[in-house]
Amino acid sequence: MAGSLLKFENVGKVYPDGTRAVSQFTLDIHQGEFVVLIGPSGCGKTTTLRMVNRLIEPSSGTILLDGQDFRQVRPVELRRRLGYVIQRIGLMPHLSIADNITFVPKLKKVSQKARRSRAYELLELVGLEPSAYMDRYPNELSGGQQQRIGVLRALAHDPDIILMDEPFGALDPLMREQLQEEVKRLQRAVSKTIIFVTHDMDEALTMADRIVLMREGEIVQVGTPEEMLRRPKDAFVTQFIGRHRMLRQASEVTVDEVMLTHPVTVPADLGLARSLDAMRRRRVDSLLVVQRDGSFCGVVRLPLVQDAMNLGRECGVGELAETCKTLCPQDLVLEAMHIMLEGQPSGVPVVDESAHVVGLVTRGTLVGLLGDALKRAHEAESPSTETADQWA
Amino acid sequence: MVLIQHTWQFFLSHSHQVVKATLQQLYLVGIPMGLAVIVAIPLTILSTRVKALYGPVIWFANAMQTIPSLALLALMIAMGMGIGTVPAVVALFLYALMPIVRNTYVGIQGVDEGVKDAARGMGVTTWQLLLIVELPLALRVIIAGVRSALVATVGFATLAALIGAGGLGNLIMEGMGMASNSIVLAGTIPAIILAFLADGVMGRVEKALTPRGLRV
Repeated sequence: MAGSLLKFENVGKVYPDGTRAVSQFTLDIHQGEFVVLIGPSGCGKTTTLRMVNRLIEPSSGTILLDGQDFRQVRPVELRRRLGYVIQRIGLMPHLSIADNITFVPKLKKVSQKARRSRAYELLELVGLEPSAYMDRYPNELSGGQQQRIGVLRALAHDPDIILMDEPFGALDPLMREQLQEEVKRLQRAVSKTIIFVTHDMDEALTMADRIVLMREGEIVQVGTPEEMLRRPKDAFVTQFIGRHRMLRQASEVTVDEVMLTHPVTVPADLGLARSLDAMRRRRVDSLLVVQRDGSFCGVVRLPLVQDAMNLGRECGVGELAETCKTLCPQDLVLEAMHIMLEGQPSGVPVVDESAHVVGLVTRGTLVGLLGDALKRAHEAESPSTETADQWA
Repeated sequence: MVLIQHTWQFFLSHSHQVVKATLQQLYLVGIPMGLAVIVAIPLTILSTRVKALYGPVIWFANAMQTIPSLALLALMIAMGMGIGTVPAVVALFLYALMPIVRNTYVGIQGVDEGVKDAARGMGVTTWQLLLIVELPLALRVIIAGVRSALVATVGFATLAALIGAGGLGNLIMEGMGMASNSIVLAGTIPAIILAFLADGVMGRVEKALTPRGLRV
């Protein structure tokens, strides 16, 4: 089929002991795609990946590379056309960083000079100072740096396809995030096709153009992260994604989707007694104070107004208003959480670019959001199609 | 003091004999060691590939080293090889196998799986895996095995005189026969020096062959 760079056709693997690792795996992968294979351990994702470079030979079906049956290429040649990154990193401890990066070019007998300049170029690409790294050895580098070199090594011979087997699984979370971003950036910059194995759904959702969810050697669902989240095929998919969903809510939902859209506002020159009355009637303990032109000037709280009244002060409510942090409609809900946690617990006004109040995020808003997520997570665990339909 | 003086005099008057014995000793160490390296290393590497081979290989090498060295020499005679250099060389060769086999196997097997997987995944051939990945990484351990084989062989070689292979052992036995401590020392001192020299040289070699990335 035209357009697909790599095509799995009914690929299966049965081990000599009878274990069926992968069965009937059919998938088209296009040039420049970032495909993530994911699933619980033992689902056959790594086996599938290792069949591409024939570290494991399929027992049935075939894989077409650029339309050509991959068995027509010698394994060694095939592997030199692909990039390979593994969890255990596997840098050669006896070779310098430059020699490690250009390991495959060396196998292809590229000259020493050309290899060094390639290593230089690649180190620069990820912002590692080439002169400081070229002649060092892997044991002088941290795990994160080593895996950076591992990724560069997979790029050195400019392969069309790079296979990555849980490349960031052994790194600490911070390092992992950095490398995820870096790989994603590199992939866009050099437009490589990447097949990436992970068991981490967050990683899959962040990195993938397409996710292939596997279970017991079979594909359960293939789709973009968006599709997987919105239209999980069955309870297994929902459950596999479900756990990750709550976290995504806060980090993906924008403020304007959840805020209260008609917060109680009062003009700055409103008298104190009338302000108190407004609070009583609307059952709130604070008011958003706006100027005559509607622009936001601050928040006024019930106790302050009461104190001022008791002292007999005569002024507009605006004089008692306190400034506070605000959000834009496009900010993430996560941002609202941060502001509340950092000492503004009652609520965060949302103002548009012309400083007009357009909404308010309160604790109630966040609790509602959390409840929503919990409800979905709960549904994910109960395989009732009825409730699934409601959300479809 | 007197003993040192006498020994020194013996060295001077019999320098020819001492030099000859030392050269014989070198021969008795060099030939079996060379053979052991040539046979043991490839055979062991093969048995890291063909696992069924390792059992018999290590069993044999182990048995050869377990037999008391004097008994091993006597066995050569009993097996019809007679006396002289040849049975001594064979016995020394058999005796030197064990440390080399063991260390070669451990060295090759000890190469990190991740490194090998990465190398295979990048398209090394079977030979390249051995020559540019496994051997360089195992070399230090293999050399350490050769080193301990060598030191043991230098010691054992003095016993070879018992079956008529000559060497420094000859001087020592001659001295003991004549109850002459100075002749005994004339054989013992070069033997000791040789042993330390061998160890020292191998230590240097070990260091020189350790890739920079593996030095601590």
